[in-house]
Amino acid sequence: MKQTEVFRWVTIVPVTVWLWLWVLLPTLMVLAVSFATREPDQLVDWTFSLDSYRRLLDPLYLQVFWDSFWLAGITAIICLLVGFPFAWWLARLTPRWRALALFLIIIPFWTNSLIRTYAIKLILGKQGIINTVLKSIGLIEAPLDMLYTPGAVICGLVYILFPFMVLPLYSNLEKLDDSLMEAARDLGATRLQVLRKIIIPLTMPGIVAGTLIVFLPAMGMFYISDLLGGAKNLLLGNIIKNQFLSSMDWPFGSAISIAMILLMGLLMLAYFQASRRINRTGGIHDSTL
Amino acid sequence: MTRLSSLAKWLLIGGVFLYLYLPIAVLVVNGFNASKYGTQWGGFTFKWFEKLWTNANLMDAAWHSLVVASTSATLATILGALGAIALYRYRFRGKRFLGGLVFVEMMAPDIVLAIAFLLIFMTLGITLGFWSLLIAHTTFCLPFTLITVYSRLNNFDVSVLDAARDLGATEWTAVRKILVPMTMPALVSGWLLSFTLSLDDVIISSFVSGPGYEILPIRVFSMVKVGISPEINVLATLLLVLSLTLVLLSQWISRRN
Amino acid sequence: MNMKKWWLSLAFAGLAGVVQAGERVVVYNWSEYIPEDTLEKFKKETGIEVVYSTYESNETLYTKLKLMKGEGYDVVVPSTYYVSKMAKEGLLQKVDKSKLDNFKNLDPDLLNKSFDPSNEYSVPYLWGSTGIGINVRDIPMDSITGWQDFWDPKFKNQLLLTDDVREVFHMALRIKGYSANTTDEAQIKEAYEYLKELMPNVRVFNSDAPREPFLSGDVSLGMIWNGSVVQAQEDDEDIQYIYPKEGAVFWMDSFVIPAGAKNVANAHKFINFMLKAEIAKDCVDYVGYATPNKAGKALLDDETASDPTIFPDAETLAAGEFHTDVGDAVLIYDKYWQLLKAGK
Repeated sequence: MKQTEVFRWVTIVPVTVWLWLWVLLPTLMVLAVSFATREPDQLVDWTFSLDSYRRLLDPLYLQVFWDSFWLAGITAIICLLVGFPFAWWLARLTPRWRALALFLIIIPFWTNSLIRTYAIKLILGKQGIINTVLKSIGLIEAPLDMLYTPGAVICGLVYILFPFMVLPLYSNLEKLDDSLMEAARDLGATRLQVLRKIIIPLTMPGIVAGTLIVFLPAMGMFYISDLLGGAKNLLLGNIIKNQFLSSMDWPFGSAISIAMILLMGLLMLAYFQASRRINRTGGIHDSTL
Repeated sequence: MTRLSSLAKWLLIGGVFLYLYLPIAVLVVNGFNASKYGTQWGGFTFKWFEKLWTNANLMDAAWHSLVVASTSATLATILGALGAIALYRYRFRGKRFLGGLVFVEMMAPDIVLAIAFLLIFMTLGITLGFWSLLIAHTTFCLPFTLITVYSRLNNFDVSVLDAARDLGATEWTAVRKILVPMTMPALVSGWLLSFTLSLDDVIISSFVSGPGYEILPIRVFSMVKVGISPEINVLATLLLVLSLTLVLLSQWISRRN
Repeated sequence: MNMKKWWLSLAFAGLAGVVQAGERVVVYNWSEYIPEDTLEKFKKETGIEVVYSTYESNETLYTKLKLMKGEGYDVVVPSTYYVSKMAKEGLLQKVDKSKLDNFKNLDPDLLNKSFDPSNEYSVPYLWGSTGIGINVRDIPMDSITGWQDFWDPKFKNQLLLTDDVREVFHMALRIKGYSANTTDEAQIKEAYEYLKELMPNVRVFNSDAPREPFLSGDVSLGMIWNGSVVQAQEDDEDIQYIYPKEGAVFWMDSFVIPAGAKNVANAHKFINFMLKAEIAKDCVDYVGYATPNKAGKALLDDETASDPTIFPDAETLAAGEFHTDVGDAVLIYDKYWQLLKAGK
């Protein structure tokens, strides 16, 4: 029996200690610093102050927040609209082709994302691949203005995050039972009705999971916006970075971080509510996360 | 399916693969392009490979990255596997809190993790360098390895372990002879995932790295920001080959089980 | 698992060569600010390995140094007023001139500046300016005379600006007739209002390598450092530099030794090496900025020595302005800078 006890401790303790020390404690510190005062020389002045949080309500930061939200949202939507049919197709391949296709999807993912972003610059630039090709076949006269636009940033984000949408969707769609849809068709349902009333509810967990896994990182990937968007936009990540590296306003940077975490938490909560609701209405639900 | 929707389907599939692979193709091809500018072909050459090879700082950074990535991936896999077993098999106080902590960490944006690490390292007096990098990388990879192993355990019949116990095996033997082999694919893919994430990480590393121990993603970031540099293309090709090798290896290992 | 890791590690041991052992010096410098072979030459002459990394802004340098409490780096290269700022905060140690026998190569006119009166902490490296870059293939050279021209609506979504708050505000402040070092909030606000009108013309902010968008054809006009233009001209001679009539930004970058440097002797050796006449000449040739090294300047070929892009005349220098520390007013600049970038 004692060996069991020992083993049990061996599994529980290391992870707990590690996470408490390197995740919980740092988060508490960020929380603590967010209530401090700015002090550029000593880095933090431990006088209690709500100034940082008050500053958050400035319309400037609400604008920044909205910009980040919008960018991440568009990225998630595009990934979903393209990813869903793609995952559908993937799930319907024979197992041999499926393994190959999955493999092909994942390979780009294993390549450094920065370098891939750099490649996008080569493709979208005024003298880039697309413009050169279009010009040589005579489709355009003047080069298209693609780089340093919000479109370029979205291209980059979609490029990096697409596999994250496809994989949860695929794993969900794979378990979808064809016979359900056949039965519905036999009973007279139109294709649209089948989509709305059967497919979407059943795949909702996958959709939500995929959307979250794309949306949340997209909110934080400000360096892609800097590289492809011309550093013209201030996103949440830029502001936090600036507070810590330029303005030396650590309390404010911490306050924004806490706000971001709370926001993510709210989205998580919404996710759980949504899945629970689907469960209750009798949809066949399996945990895909 | 009508012919139109069939065409649409193939356009979509083709479009996706084109989108995914065009940048990579551009990188690989330009690694051999004698012209510095990716849009004109200047002839086939290996000179950029040579240039990369002799770039001592880059090679050092690459080596450091490999060390940090493999060490933190191993550490994260071990911790993650243990944690997954704990969450799966046992009930204990603070179990849900631990699960929540893992979840929160996975969803937190990189920049927030970066400053959190910075704060704790400064408070504890840990100098920024190899150890801070190792701790940070292990920590942000941990949720991924844990979840990978956990979901594998989920699809797994617990009664096998109990049967072993009934037959007199100790917990440790049950783990060694049953659990580990059965979760091997998850361990391998968790390790690979951590390794990739570590090599890819820029934001956290730029906050917690110190002088004298530079790692690849930061060097790459500087190079990418500075712009046109064929060495990046060569580097990309090499990294791609490395990834391909690792993934193929992992497939081979899982298949052996 | 273990086997695989060790196999991989060994394989890459071959790639990296021998991991550093022996003498070293840790240098933190601006990106693209040293000829590629200089570090090799240094190693060959002294046997000391240079561990080299780069930054693209004084703020990054300053923060890193503060976080490390002045330790970890042996030689860093701050600009103008950052020297006085860092010295005041105890982040630097005094330079031992007795170890720098090449110090005499420096032009006395460029020593003893206000930010370090007797050069106790700093040894000048390069100096330069931020002005107007132009691709004459797309825009005629004589149509642009000053910062004011950026505001022309025909340049909508075409300009490049350096990603530096002081430099961008410098433009508007000088146009309005104020000093670029003002701490007066009213003046800064006025500059901000004027800059707001410029924003639709901006295509990209870039302080990593401003010449890159010029070279890739994405931009034909904008702010740029003079050395960037010289470097760009190697690939494309149509890229030229113009000193704006309202006054360019001038700056000087100097070698300093952080307070907690570990390899102080090697740091001095490195600085002394960089002060050699031939090395100074190499820097000008490769990097395109002006050297304060008189002996080095004498070695330059006529074309380079008389290139106004690298060496402006006295009149141009007088028209421009060196930036100084504005103390807490930096918060005011920051506030308007963020408004500028976030606003639409």
